[in-house]
Amino acid sequence: MASPPQLPPADDLYLTAHDTPKGKALLSPATLGLGLGAALLGELMLWRRVDLVDTDLVVIDERPTGDAATSAVLEQLRREAGQHGVRNWLAYLSTGIATDLVERRLARVGLIQRVEKRGLLGGTKVSFVPADSMTAGWPATRIRTKASRDESLDVADLLLAGLILATGLDQHVLATLNARDRARLFDQFRRLFPAMLQQLVAQAEAAVGDAVMARRA
Amino acid sequence: MSTTATQSPAPGSQLTDALARDRLGVASVVFFVMSAAAPLTVVAGVVPTGLAVTGLTGIAIAFIAVALVLAIFAVGYVAMARHISNAGAFYAYVSRGLGRPLGVGASWVALLAYNMFQVASYGGFGAIAQPLFLDWFGLDVQWWALALVTWALVAILGVRDVAVNGKVLATLLVAEIALTVVFAVAEIGADGFTASAAPLDPGTLVGAGSGALLVMAITGFVGFEQSVVFSEESRDPRRTVSRATYIAIALIAVLYAFASWAMISAAGADQVVARAGEEGPELFFNLASGQLGSAALHLGHALFLTSLIAAMISFHNIISRYMFSLGREGVLPRTFGKTVPGTGAPKNGSLAQSALGLIVIVLYAVMGWDPLVQLFFWGGTGGGLGVLLLVTITAFAVIGYFARNPQGEDVLHRVVAPVIGAILLLVMSYLALSNIALLLGVEPGSTPALAVPGSFGLLFVAGVLWAFYLRGARPNVYEGIGLGARSATTGGGGFAAALNEPDGRR
Repeated sequence: MASPPQLPPADDLYLTAHDTPKGKALLSPATLGLGLGAALLGELMLWRRVDLVDTDLVVIDERPTGDAATSAVLEQLRREAGQHGVRNWLAYLSTGIATDLVERRLARVGLIQRVEKRGLLGGTKVSFVPADSMTAGWPATRIRTKASRDESLDVADLLLAGLILATGLDQHVLATLNARDRARLFDQFRRLFPAMLQQLVAQAEAAVGDAVMARRA
Repeated sequence: MSTTATQSPAPGSQLTDALARDRLGVASVVFFVMSAAAPLTVVAGVVPTGLAVTGLTGIAIAFIAVALVLAIFAVGYVAMARHISNAGAFYAYVSRGLGRPLGVGASWVALLAYNMFQVASYGGFGAIAQPLFLDWFGLDVQWWALALVTWALVAILGVRDVAVNGKVLATLLVAEIALTVVFAVAEIGADGFTASAAPLDPGTLVGAGSGALLVMAITGFVGFEQSVVFSEESRDPRRTVSRATYIAIALIAVLYAFASWAMISAAGADQVVARAGEEGPELFFNLASGQLGSAALHLGHALFLTSLIAAMISFHNIISRYMFSLGREGVLPRTFGKTVPGTGAPKNGSLAQSALGLIVIVLYAVMGWDPLVQLFFWGGTGGGLGVLLLVTITAFAVIGYFARNPQGEDVLHRVVAPVIGAILLLVMSYLALSNIALLLGVEPGSTPALAVPGSFGLLFVAGVLWAFYLRGARPNVYEGIGLGARSATTGGGGFAAALNEPDGRR
């Protein structure tokens, strides 16, 4: 069986968070935004454009990545470098900016489709639905399969898995993992996941908790 | 468009502008705080029941006195909120100011106190709705059946989206405040109204029963402490929350003092206790009925019920988030740190609260205990006592914290106000504890008079012991106590647990 290609972590996270034929989000907009924001920042770290030093994002290479979504974030980071901590960046990206960037990137390659629905009150509601529900379910399946076979996940998939946990999506997509597989996955986080990305995901998780406490989630 | 000294955003920063749009202003924070305060519940519910149970009439001056003490306390409290994470939970202050063991003790006391308010409002709703349903619909429904209906409503809202009801609550709150004022004014115009000095007699604050009055009064303010939840979301971190807190305290004090003064004066200070005993929560409405038509009365009754429901929803949300925060820190089982992914509702804390509420309603129904006095009033004032004790220990925590971390606040905010507040609160707590039997209307030394303060003491000690256990057995968890869900390294959910704890649980 040919498996669909691995996408950038933010795209995989988006598809995982919309794992139904209708494209209904499994996360609240705020939580989804925090997860996708962290995923885009994580992609920039994988591109070796940005470092997380303590709680500050530091641009180490200003060249565009060749990808519109991450390049847009990089450009903003460069312009307002050193002024805001990572938590402010996450809060900013979660206001719809990250979700918008990722939706455009996925729509461009045809993995999600824009659907307009006429609302009851006359307005139109724009939403995106996965073009193929098989593709949409693949990222989570890949993580579950590798965890249960005790195969190593690559760093991009560890980022995805970390953000699945941080956003609470694991209750939907990793619920079937048994205790042993879970422990193996957790062990990979400690052994194979770079410290900087560990910190990023932990910050995203803390931001999700913060949103719950302040009734914004 | 306000800027602050602490954060000086660069002009034209997209990030700063975007975040500023989502920030809360003073009015939003005041609304939020007052919805937990539930004005009609206090004025028409707590005050007449308190008059009947304790026979004390100095309630108006007690509201004002408590407001002053809380405002002094709030100076240091709001200041400390700017420096710590997880503000809004008393135990975070206590952990940071007086050490983690006392913090865990405080967290358990807080859970009990808030749960007492929660179950109190179920009892109050049932007891108050029962005669109204008979009057309106000719239905004779048991109080506990009505309580269970609201219980189910709160339980469902608790595990679903909580943000939906924000606007509804705000509308109801405005209507409630307006109606309280209208009724109080009508009572001033009622036959038999003679302006009475008794509700405002400062002598009652030093006489016998002063502690009981003060606890009844503080019950009306509970919720004010939640303002600091928004410390980081407010437009101006230095001013928005502190202004909102003072405004909320002042509004509550003026509204409650005025309404209770009008009610006692209209009934006559010498007769109000007897009438409160006979008429109960109807007293506030009966006294105004001569001036206002029956439509106003029906509206008042309806808002009384929605006020109780609003209080239930508020306290339910406070409790489930408290448990969420403790679950994320690992002080309670990690499962309480989970939310419904689609809504962010802290479901397991919510379910636990609902389970407890169900048990209490069923227990009271089976035992045939009185829902108005033994559930609504005892629960409400017991919770008030718990919050008073928490505020008191938090006042000392503020002093302790600023003694070690004096940066960024002036002497007024970190020493003068906290010390004065702590002393006043200590006196209030002493008076409250020594008046507990009078407050509950029972014999000194009887079971309720021992059980209410005793259960707070027991939970506090148990919490302290639990903290010591955590220090030895789970040092990671212990380190994170009081840092809240915001702490990236220790206080997280599933991912932080995965990093810190080999079996992902512990």
